[in-house]
Amino acid sequence: MDTIRNFCIIAHIDHGKSTLADRLIQRCGGVEEREFRDQILDSMDIERERGITIKSNTVTLVYEAEDGQAYQLNLIDTPGHVDFSHEVRRSLMSCEGALLLIDAAQGVEAQTLANLYLALEYDLELVPVINKIDLPSADIEKVREEIDEDLGLDPYEAVLCSAKQGTGIEDVLEAIIHQLPAPEGDPEAPLQALIFDAQYDPYRGVVMFCRVKQGTLRPGQTIQLMHTGKEYQIEEVGLLQLKQVKAHQLAAGAVGYVIGGIKTVRDIAIGDTLTDAAQPAPEPLPGYKEAKPVVFSSIYPMSTDDYEDLAKALDKLALNDAALTFEKDSSTALGFGFRCGFLGLLHLDVVQERLKREYGLSLLLSAPSVRYELTLEDGSTMTVDNPTLFPDPNHIEGAAEPYIKAAIMMPERYIGVVMELCRERRGVNTTYNYLAVGRVELTSELPLAEVLFDFYDKLKTVTQGYGSFDYELLDYRPTDLVKVDILVNGEPVDALAQLVHREKARPRALRYCEKLAETIPRQQFKIAIQGAIGGKIIARTTINAYRKDVTAKCYGGDITRKRKLLEKQREGKKRMKVVGAVEIPQSAFMAVLKADTDN
Amino acid sequence: MTARAGPGLYLHLPFCSSICPYCDFYVLTGEPARRRRFVDSLIAEIALLAGGTWPVVGTESPRAPFDTLYLGGGTPSILAAEELARILEALRRALPLDDDVWLSIEANPEDVTPGNLAAWRRLGVDFLSLGVQSFQPEHLDFLGRRHTAEQSHRSLELALGAGFHTVSLDLIYGLPHQSREGWQRDLEQALEHGPQHLSCYQLTIHEGTLFGFRQQRGRLAELPEEAQAELFLFTHRHLADQGLPGYEVSNFAAGSEHRSRHNQKYWDHTPYLGLGPSAHSFAGNRRWWNLRKIKPWEARLEAGESPVDTSEEVSPTDLILERLMLELRTTDGLDLEGFRDVYGIDLLATNREVVDRLKAAGWIELDSGRLTPTTKGLAIADTLARAFEIPS
Repeated sequence: MDTIRNFCIIAHIDHGKSTLADRLIQRCGGVEEREFRDQILDSMDIERERGITIKSNTVTLVYEAEDGQAYQLNLIDTPGHVDFSHEVRRSLMSCEGALLLIDAAQGVEAQTLANLYLALEYDLELVPVINKIDLPSADIEKVREEIDEDLGLDPYEAVLCSAKQGTGIEDVLEAIIHQLPAPEGDPEAPLQALIFDAQYDPYRGVVMFCRVKQGTLRPGQTIQLMHTGKEYQIEEVGLLQLKQVKAHQLAAGAVGYVIGGIKTVRDIAIGDTLTDAAQPAPEPLPGYKEAKPVVFSSIYPMSTDDYEDLAKALDKLALNDAALTFEKDSSTALGFGFRCGFLGLLHLDVVQERLKREYGLSLLLSAPSVRYELTLEDGSTMTVDNPTLFPDPNHIEGAAEPYIKAAIMMPERYIGVVMELCRERRGVNTTYNYLAVGRVELTSELPLAEVLFDFYDKLKTVTQGYGSFDYELLDYRPTDLVKVDILVNGEPVDALAQLVHREKARPRALRYCEKLAETIPRQQFKIAIQGAIGGKIIARTTINAYRKDVTAKCYGGDITRKRKLLEKQREGKKRMKVVGAVEIPQSAFMAVLKADTDN
Repeated sequence: MTARAGPGLYLHLPFCSSICPYCDFYVLTGEPARRRRFVDSLIAEIALLAGGTWPVVGTESPRAPFDTLYLGGGTPSILAAEELARILEALRRALPLDDDVWLSIEANPEDVTPGNLAAWRRLGVDFLSLGVQSFQPEHLDFLGRRHTAEQSHRSLELALGAGFHTVSLDLIYGLPHQSREGWQRDLEQALEHGPQHLSCYQLTIHEGTLFGFRQQRGRLAELPEEAQAELFLFTHRHLADQGLPGYEVSNFAAGSEHRSRHNQKYWDHTPYLGLGPSAHSFAGNRRWWNLRKIKPWEARLEAGESPVDTSEEVSPTDLILERLMLELRTTDGLDLEGFRDVYGIDLLATNREVVDRLKAAGWIELDSGRLTPTTKGLAIADTLARAFEIPS
């Protein structure tokens, strides 16, 4: 056990976490140089493109240290975005220590701090690592100061490296061995193993990634998932080297995988504790929290023929993404689709991208919504996230919406504009404190719904890219909620209905109407586009009737060119939806649903 | 008009004295010697067809003799009468040509002389189409035309007195800044001559032309849709009042006997054979076209090979789409029973909702088994064709 180190790397986005992981793997001979692919832990394309880690990967490295001893280093990868903070927590709980990675040019950032606090919450030992020291703009002394002042860590313990160039990697490895503690635990004690991640394998079922805290996991053992009570028989355990390597057992302190005939990731819960069914531990490991979706959107295939494919694709994604929820939904305008729940906007983006890229689907997504709590006249309560299921307002006594606590870090000079942004977004209890000279952390309690609409983009704009943002869910608070319908020639387009705060109803409706007027082609009659709350019209635009085609000449017998043009237009028409006898192209829905801004 | 007529024959004679800035056809300028070489090549292409076998469709060639022949371009009138005669002679030698084949020719006003008119009459020209385009000097200048308004008037007088079955003139409207009154003056000056046929085209700006170039740089734009629609409807109403009702989007005739018999074949899927560079052909379910440029076209012929560039098989769905798109451009419209006989599809049964919608909008009429576009419908003929669901 003395030769095991369980650690993770925590960093602000873009500070080089994946690159450092690559180097550590490479140095420990995990991968041959020639087959080395940059940022090997981020195996999904989207992650590689965006430079973010979504699904955590974990790897066991064997390092022969300067003291001649071979160490087993379990690098537990952590996702780097707020939507996935529950996964970060699971990862941190599996470690004894962490490398706190800081960009030598950027210094300490919002997420560095957020992650630091998280790490401290789990009592992790920390080694600051200053990365990118090769950059011309690197200012190591300034970063040391920040480590001292902002983080309260010993700046002279900081290891210097350039993951990109491969310098300082030995120092990082030696620091892991000497500065991070070995795991503790009793291999003979009742079993407690934390599930910190899981993957679905089409041949083997669910592969759980575990950190054994107490006791020993062995094939043949019957295990119980302490929160769900379900029992399975272990078929195989092993280590997570770049390939899964079968082992006889996983004893206290170890990190590895467990396979036990589990069919989908839905049968387990990340954060749950495995114990021996015959000799159970008295209690599960602490910190279990169910990952609940907070953002909802309906996904429709562009072509109704693709509905079955969409259903299959979601099923497959869900095998590996326990946080994704979906149920059948239908819209008169867009046909059959699915109402999906996500952990946040990034999660939504990732799912959408994967459906497009991995399954080749063209999709339309309705405007994202949060889940509201309604109290009805008769005293009963209900939740609603789908505008089409919004009950008759006459029967609603009150509504509540989820609030978040946003933490925004930025240079001092942007305080004014950011406070204004929070005010516009109905933020309350906005306060700030100085982290260091010139750096401010502002906290504000904001309705989550307000953050769904381009908040992050706006923040980046007003702070010229210097602002960073993190949030956690707070609670539900009373709100004045209305359902805004968009009507085309008097008929509501259900896919465009939205639940919004009364104050925001008019600008939102107007924006939608204008976008539709821009994108719906003229037709033979005048088209009225209206926004309404109940029967009351709050916004209106019109599209004038269509009068003339480009009926180009058809002479000299070149019919082919003209027909091809028409064919192309017909293809476009196939994807049009008819509402109120008006043909609405998909592009109009796209334009409107992307118009996620009120001004 | 039925599709039971013989096939049509089109010759593309690409030469012009200058290239108009709006023209999207394959045209070029060329000295008399260059033109003579072209005529030799064209005769070589004709000779390849000796025995009446068409390219591409080969043994499935239409059997009936050609009953229309259209000399288009380009400016066919730029060729000497002897050159035209040589071409016709070659045609009669190689291909089955109806004895009283309906012969159409395009001519520019500056080429209209008593001598040429007489020569064309001797060749058997029935339909003479004059590229007048406008009677307003500033518009002729804008359109890059070489003739004057005076020449246009003169050519019309001469042509109409020369004994052709039908004299037609081409006019272009919808020019930037053109008012309805200005356009009406053009129409009235044309009508004063009493032509039997008019083709009125709205200025369309194509990529790859000088106008297209100007448009890209924001120096030229087509009229806004509203103004185009107004001029279009005015044109159809005014000419109908004046005894030349429109029978197609851009064509007007004083009685059905003066309609363009050749162009009609394009609109009702009668087979046609096109010869010359860039010429298009159609038979059965195949369309094909010749190499667009004169040099490669000539090179093939010099090698004794067919100058066909590409051929495509038109799928049943596409044939139907074409049929809709072409017939709904004409006031004769679409014969529902004939359509069902050919394609096995009852348009009314499969597209009842569409038909009702288009009818309600005042775009089409349904009368004695025919779907016919109204004048408003003709303005958006492409949209009409697109509206139909084609069962596959």
